[in-house]
Amino acid sequence: MKRSFVGVILLCAILLMNIVFLQLLVHQYYFENYVAVLTYMGIMFLLFPLALWIYKKEKYKGDHSHEKE
Amino acid sequence: MTDQKRKIPVEEDNYTHNINRNNERSLDRRGFMKTLVGAAGVFAVASLPWGTLAAKELMGLSDKEYPHKKIVDVKDIAVGDSVEFYFPSEHDSAVLIRLEQNKYVAYQNACTHLRCPVYWVKEKHTMVCPCHKGKFDVNTGAPTAGPPRRPLPGIVVEVKDEAVYAVRVKRYEA
Ligand code: FES
Repeated sequence: MKRSFVGVILLCAILLMNIVFLQLLVHQYYFENYVAVLTYMGIMFLLFPLALWIYKKEKYKGDHSHEKE
Repeated sequence: MTDQKRKIPVEEDNYTHNINRNNERSLDRRGFMKTLVGAAGVFAVASLPWGTLAAKELMGLSDKEYPHKKIVDVKDIAVGDSVEFYFPSEHDSAVLIRLEQNKYVAYQNACTHLRCPVYWVKEKHTMVCPCHKGKFDVNTGAPTAGPPRRPLPGIVVEVKDEAVYAVRVKRYEA
């Protein structure tokens, strides 16, 4: 059985970006750059549907049991 | 013959023959991806309170007007001197500095590092925090040395009837 890890790797990258952007967001809040805070929040909110989309796309990759049936 | 043995009998009393064990690993991977998507969602929600606070600041809701407060009479503060006062509440210590005949600046003087009181050093023409030797520019309130990274919040002052009044706390403009 061949498995595809593309989805896992992409989602891990998204998690990393989440961590990085949240850190930046909190820092920018304390630096009082509120526009930057809102931008980062926008990015965070775009990352979630992106993750969902990747998940939906990769869900059945490498799973051949469905093909056999 | 061996093939025959391995074959799972499909009988009425076999309730497990429909479990496909080959799928276990791929479900594992899928479950992991699900967790990652969930984490992305949690992160998005976690950024929400910061965003709301930021939006609130941007819309100027925190730029409140406080009742004007008299700091000192003009005759009681010489050019180059400073007075301490409290604005907007009696717990927010602040400092007023008369730089020139008609130029006054005022800041909330809790250091932006660890909130020690910052004071005005006339000889060095700078504001100094005694705790960790933080320094602030007197014209802008921007940190110039030491650990502080954010400027001191400025206070708008007004001279009226031979006295100096505190009007409001300035919003920091980047
Ligand atoms: S508290 Fe002012 S420099 Fe640390």
